[in-house]
Formats: sequence, C-alpha cells, structure tokens
Amino acid sequence: MSIFAQLLEFIGDPAHWSGPRGIPVRIFEHVWYTALSLGIAALIALPVGLLIGHTGKGAFLAISIGNAARSFPSLGVLTLLVLAVGLGLTPVLVALVVLGIPPIVAATYEGIRGVSPATVDAARGMGMTEFDVLRRVELPIALPLVISGLRSSALQIVSTATIAAFVALGGLGRFLIDGLGVRNYAEMVTGAVLVALLAIAVDLVFALFSRIVVSDGLTGRAPAPSADTDLAPATTH
Amino acid sequence: MIKFENVTKRYPGGTVAVDELNLTVPPGKITVFVGPSGCGKTTSLRLINRSIELTSGRILVDGRDVTSVPAVALRRGIGYVIQHGGLFPHQTVIDNVATVPYLLGWDKKKARARAHELLERVGLPASFAKRYPAQLSGGQQQRVGVARALAADPPIMLMDEPFSAVDPIVRASLQEEFLRLQQELGKTIVLVTHDIDEAIKLGDNVAVFAEGGKLAQLDSPARILANPADEFVEDLVGRDRGYRGLSFVTAHDLPVHPVPTTALGASTADARAAVRDQRWVLALDADRRPLGWLDVSQSDMDTVDTVESAALLSVGATFTGDSSMRRVLDGALASPAGYSVGVDADGAFTGAVSTAEVAQHLASQDRVSVEPL
Repeated sequence: MSIFAQLLEFIGDPAHWSGPRGIPVRIFEHVWYTALSLGIAALIALPVGLLIGHTGKGAFLAISIGNAARSFPSLGVLTLLVLAVGLGLTPVLVALVVLGIPPIVAATYEGIRGVSPATVDAARGMGMTEFDVLRRVELPIALPLVISGLRSSALQIVSTATIAAFVALGGLGRFLIDGLGVRNYAEMVTGAVLVALLAIAVDLVFALFSRIVVSDGLTGRAPAPSADTDLAPATTH
Repeated sequence: MIKFENVTKRYPGGTVAVDELNLTVPPGKITVFVGPSGCGKTTSLRLINRSIELTSGRILVDGRDVTSVPAVALRRGIGYVIQHGGLFPHQTVIDNVATVPYLLGWDKKKARARAHELLERVGLPASFAKRYPAQLSGGQQQRVGVARALAADPPIMLMDEPFSAVDPIVRASLQEEFLRLQQELGKTIVLVTHDIDEAIKLGDNVAVFAEGGKLAQLDSPARILANPADEFVEDLVGRDRGYRGLSFVTAHDLPVHPVPTTALGASTADARAAVRDQRWVLALDADRRPLGWLDVSQSDMDTVDTVESAALLSVGATFTGDSSMRRVLDGALASPAGYSVGVDADGAFTGAVSTAEVAQHLASQDRVSVEPL
C-alpha cells in the first residue's frame, strides 16, 4: 500500500478523530503552544526592535545576539532546560520563544529604520513626542515588515513545536514520536502533513491580517496617481 | 518676530555651521535664507524650532527664548514645511493635514472640518481628502504639506526648500499661490532656498548666507540686486542683476501708444492700408483682446483675402499697470514686432510700447531709490 493510501486510511479512521489523543486535540495543543510562544516572543521582541529601530542604538548587539540564538538547535536547548528545570511546558516554551524572537527583532528594526528620515523629521517638526513619532508614524509605516517578521517567526515556531512531544507533551509531534516508536509510518506521515497544513494555514492568517491592518497608502492598492498636473493656473504678475 | 542674538552652532568635531548670527525676522513678512550648500541656512532655520539645538547665543520668538519652552510645545505653535512635503504615507490627505490639531487634542470632527477648509485654501479639491500621498503628484503633495503646516493657524511658518522638488512649471505656480496665500494670511515666514531667483521672487527680506555660517547681507530683494554688500553677494545674484532688478519696478506710469489693429476676417487690403509703410498689424478679437501680430510684408499676402488666425504670430506675454518692467521689457524683446502689448484688467488692448521706448522710460527714472528696510 502506498504511503499516500496509508495516510488516507489513517486520517479516514474515525477513531483518530476523537478522544484526548485524536487529531483535533493534537491540532489544538499544537496551536496553543505556537500561540503562547509567539505571544511571549512578540512581547519581548517588539519593544526591543522598536527601541533599537527608533534610537538606532544597540542594533548591532541585539541583532548579533539574535543571530546567535537562532543558531541554537531547539532540541538541544530543550534537552538542556529539561535537565535544568524538569519536564513541563516551560522548557518547551523557552526553546520556542528563543527561536521566535530573532526574526521579529530583525524585521521590526529594519522596518523602523526604513521609514524615510524626512517623514520622521516632519513628525518631530509638527510637535510629536518621541513616543508619538514611534506610535503614530514609524510603527504604522513599518507594519508590513513587522508583520512579516511575526509571520516568519510563527512559521518557525509551528514547525518546531513538534519537539513538545519529545518531553511527553502533546501537539502534532506526538504522531511523529508515537509513529516512530511503533514503526507506524502512516501515523508519522500524518503528523508531518498536518504540521505542513497548519503552517500554510498560519501563513494565510498572517497574509490576511497584513491585508487588514496595513494602510492602503503603503501597499500600492490605492488607485494610481493622476497625471502630474497642477490644479490652479499660475496667475500673471 | 524672530530674533537671533549672537547665535552659534558648533558641532562636536569643531565644524561651525552658524557663526555669531544676528538677525531679525519681522512679523507678517517672508524672510528668505539663501546661500550655497553648507552655508548654515538650513541649520539656522532648524535652530528656531529646536530640531537642532544651538551652542551659544539665543533665539527669541515673540520675545521668548526658544529654549525656555519644551520643544514639543514650541513646535506645535510653528508651522513646518519641508522638501517633498514629508507627508505621512500611511495616512490620507485629510488626516495628514489634521496632524497638529489631533496632537493639540481637538476632537476629530473639528480637526477634519479645519483640514477640509485648508485643502480648499491651498487649491486642492475636496475629493482629494481621502487619497493617500502616493496618489498625488509632487506639486499636490507640496500643497498638502503647506496645508498641514497651516492647520493649527500658527503665527510662524518655517519652510525648508518647499518648492525645490517639483518641476519648474509647477514650482512657478506654487510660488505664485504661496504669495497669494501669504497676502491673505500675513504669517511670519522663514523660507530656506538655495535658489537666488526664488529668494528674490518670494522674499520681503533676503538674508544671504556665506560659507562658514556667516550672514553676508540682509536686505530687501531690490536692494540686494541694486547694492550687493560684497563680491560674494554680487556673484550669487549673478551678472544680469540689473535686468532682474526690473522685477521690482512696475509699469504704472509707463506711457503706451496705439498701433494699427485689425480683426479676424477683415480684408488684408484694409489691414495693409492701415499700417501704411509699416510691417506689423495687431489682430484683436471682438472684445479687443489681442490675438496676434500679422506681418503684412509677407510675400504671400497678395494671395490671401482675409486675416486668418493661422497667419498670426504670438503676442507673447501682455502687461498691465501692475506688471513689472521686467515683464514689459521681456515682452518687447520676445515680440516679433518689437512691441510689448499692454492690456487692461479685462484683457482688452490699451496700447503698445517698443524696446527703445521701455529703455528710454527706465533711463528717465531714478531706480536706485528703492526704499531701505
């Protein structure tokens, strides 16, 4: 039987759709780990990115630390933490948050730095406070990049959240671990496919979110400008 | 009124951007800071709203030291216009214009009503309110920038190269409108430009900055053209300053005289008879507005029975009593007939004047007696 047929058989079995070990529960767990980690990562990374973007200070340090953190193998971090604090949700979340922070910091920083200096000069010249400049001008203009940072962070977390299963938690990783344990390839493939589908769904959600919250003035969706004509005729002198 | 008292800006590296500047910007007038790049004109402007902090000396706005007020409060009372407009790309035109009213805590309805009023003031149709800056041309963006600076009705406006980023034709029309607007509003304006022609055209007073942040001359445009303080200013205003100085002399008491005229559809024979031994006849429409010059000495005149518009040559720029002598002289020099054509307020022909007659008139006038500041 082909792996594809096995996959369909596994998914088609109603027994796999109910109970605490069923597909819906596993998907829910997976989404929960992802959302929680992404939320915590964003709470840490967004202020850092906004601050270093706005002030231009500490960028090298923050980005370097971020890149270093990115290169840690998540499974290694997880193992280390479990040895240190024991089993539970915390080690999993820490490992995922460490993974999720760098893309958000980097993209937010780039987004804020990319705002035209003239625009920022005008904002200050109008009498905006530094916080106003950040909140009313820099952040809304940087939003497309900020969201793309959240998006890549979310995708990394979604695909890596399978590691929760290594430390006896749930999530879609369970199908991989359990399937491997009993040489049930259909179950493993099911887990992999579900993770992939979930990643696509997350990607779509962010694309939609970006479309809703980013100003039409930044996306080029607003109709093209009229010809470069001036409206009022010059008066004679 | 804005007063610079011994103002110096020195950067940590030792570069002096503004050197012991003493200058008074009178209320209700346009004062233009002009000079080559690196002369400290933009720095001086930015010292006023504390976008740059001065090193020593002080700047008084209406008698109050700018450093005695929080920068944010100071700036909300000073309009600020920069090159390219510096509009917020994520906001609609109406929200851009309402920026300072929002900051001042006006309610949204009142702020938007005020913004609508200002769009009209700067010559933009109400339909532009919901557009984004990217949907506007450069000139339109600049108008929005001016409207935004005016939104909270500040008594003072700082304008940093406001018309530099648009093409010459749009620039000329923006400048005209700016002068018209200033006539209505009477703001105290400091405008920075590197373009001496713009300075001469817009300024009630012109402050010429020399390299090293020193003030070379502060005077009316007419006096800067007539009496440059030194070689630097003379170089900056250029060689044709005598001709440009004519911008400040009006054609009020310039005598004009009639010339032979004709109308479209009139017979060419009559037109030729009217000019006798001369070459040029001026075609007028039914309301006596000039249409163009007809050269009756053309070889093919014999084959044409009536005066056709296709045979007419352009009259060029016409003038009224309020026009500058520069315009009159240019009209005469550019005209195929050698005449500049005068019209009344309705555009009807009043008389013409030749290049030689313009020169004679100018020679008879005491043009150095421009009023001192």
